[in-house]
Amino acid sequence: MSSEATQPGDIVIRLRGVGKTFHRGSESLRVLHELDLDVQRGAFEALMGPSGSGKSTLLNLIAGLDHPSTGSVEVCGQRVDQLNEGQLAKWRASKIGFVFQTYNLLPVLRAVENVELPLLLTNFSAKQRRERAETALRVVGLSDRLEHYPRQLSGGQEQRVAIARAIVTDPEVIVADEPTGDLDRASADDVLTLLERLTKEMNKTIVMVTHDPVAAERASIIRRLDKGSLK
Amino acid sequence: MNTLVLSARNLSRNRFRTGLTVLGVVVAMLAFLALRTVIYSWTVAAEVAPKDRLVTRNKVTFIMPLPKHYVERVKQTPGVKATTFANWFGGRDPNNEREMFSTLAVDTNTIFEVYTEMKVPEEQLATWKQDRTGAIVGDVIAKKMGWKLGDKVTLISGIYFAPPDSPWTFTIRGIYAATARSVDRSTFMFHWNYLNDRVPEIARDQAGWLISRVTDPSQTANISQAIDRMFDDRDIQTASQDERSFNASFLASFSAVLKAIDIVSIVILCIMMLVLGNTIAMGVRERTNEYGVLRALGFSRNYLATLVVGESVSAGIVGGVAGVALAYPLIENGIGRWLEENMGMYFPFFRIAPGTALLALAFAVTLSAVAALIPAWRVTQLDVIDALRRVE
Repeated sequence: MSSEATQPGDIVIRLRGVGKTFHRGSESLRVLHELDLDVQRGAFEALMGPSGSGKSTLLNLIAGLDHPSTGSVEVCGQRVDQLNEGQLAKWRASKIGFVFQTYNLLPVLRAVENVELPLLLTNFSAKQRRERAETALRVVGLSDRLEHYPRQLSGGQEQRVAIARAIVTDPEVIVADEPTGDLDRASADDVLTLLERLTKEMNKTIVMVTHDPVAAERASIIRRLDKGSLK
Repeated sequence: MNTLVLSARNLSRNRFRTGLTVLGVVVAMLAFLALRTVIYSWTVAAEVAPKDRLVTRNKVTFIMPLPKHYVERVKQTPGVKATTFANWFGGRDPNNEREMFSTLAVDTNTIFEVYTEMKVPEEQLATWKQDRTGAIVGDVIAKKMGWKLGDKVTLISGIYFAPPDSPWTFTIRGIYAATARSVDRSTFMFHWNYLNDRVPEIARDQAGWLISRVTDPSQTANISQAIDRMFDDRDIQTASQDERSFNASFLASFSAVLKAIDIVSIVILCIMMLVLGNTIAMGVRERTNEYGVLRALGFSRNYLATLVVGESVSAGIVGGVAGVALAYPLIENGIGRWLEENMGMYFPFFRIAPGTALLALAFAVTLSAVAALIPAWRVTQLDVIDALRRVE
């Protein structure tokens, strides 16, 4: 895994006046209010807040899964809010790594195949894809579990496979939605240690949504969201 | 790992359900191939008929007879090598009425000059000709009914009634074999004279139809016309055509049945498509969250649709290939052999046409792709965030 070309300290995520309103029939629900946010390259930031505070919505906007109702979202130098759906998909494939609470590995694929999955969208040969997937699994300490199916792995191991999948395309930003939410404390510590390593050794920028104060403590910056506003 | 592997692997998630679906495809393929083979074998019976044989029948309908003296006139037509005649007897064994076989009253002297692909040992033929109540039967029906040379056989006829004290009794004098697949090996033939002597005066000297062999097969049309012209000014006129056309016109009377079979074979494939579509739709619904993950990772809507269609086509190919592979032993060696032996007059050659197997495979692939269209469309309509939230 290579580190980024630009220097640590660059702003890699920049949100200005971002608002998000959901419409359901005649009702409107304003979830985010005129948010401004700067995240430096290489930062490991935790987003905390009560349920319904807009954490996941904010994460989705940063990850390019949704468009803001107002304001601008710039990630890795790209105005994400100006991209259409097809452009967003391509952009996500190269710039964003995802880590989900429930791992979301495909049960019919082996660990190495799950990690290889995002590389199907690249021009790498089958051999190159395989080599990169094995490297990513080595980074997360699972080089001895390449051929295991998700059902043959523990929860912590599954999440580490998911992290390998998130870094295999060498993205600049990793978004993690409750990555330790389904894990016991020991496994959660392992995963958090791994995320810390990604920032320190590979200069990845990580934005993590969590309810867990212990997990949040491992981040370099903790931001609190309440009723759609950053505190 | 590639897209194809991913599509195929998705089928392994619920092996029981996939197994049942593939089994459904296999059964549909078998049914389709069997029905199409019925149509094929029925029509091929007409197509394999010799080109140098002519059939002359009553112009009104083939169930009305011709005067027997027409035979001599037809024989003398230039280009005709030999002529024989036969009457449909409509006989059946009263002890085994469900067993169907053709029973014909034939001219003993000429029948085997015209039907050269029927082979009877010389001594049996000679014995038959000398015995007025003698019969020659096909090897298949002889084996099935347990008839041996010298056996007495009593038949009843739906056309020619016999008093209880004097039934239609025959002695088996010969057993013929066939040198061509087009020959029905279950025909029962006896002396036309035996029939003629026992029918009422008014029905005597009638021939059901005439069959002629010509010297030049390319001249069958001209010879047919020449024969029919001879009887143009008679009360009973004739219609002659080569045996292939005669068989084809006979088949035409069953065209509604053949069409019905044709339609049923397509309906079966449509049912297969619906079963497959349902399976794929269930799988897609259960995996909504995974499609959300794939979309988040950057896979396009079209890519996901391709995955869904690929999954369905994989099932179609597996079921289609298995169905075709099973069809050959089951249809050709099982049902086919039985039909050829037991219903040879309708299915003398019950074999799967190569084109039919390819057609079945093409249908399996195409319809499995069509079956996935709606589930694939639904996948393309998923909102990535909603899909990620969905947990089955």
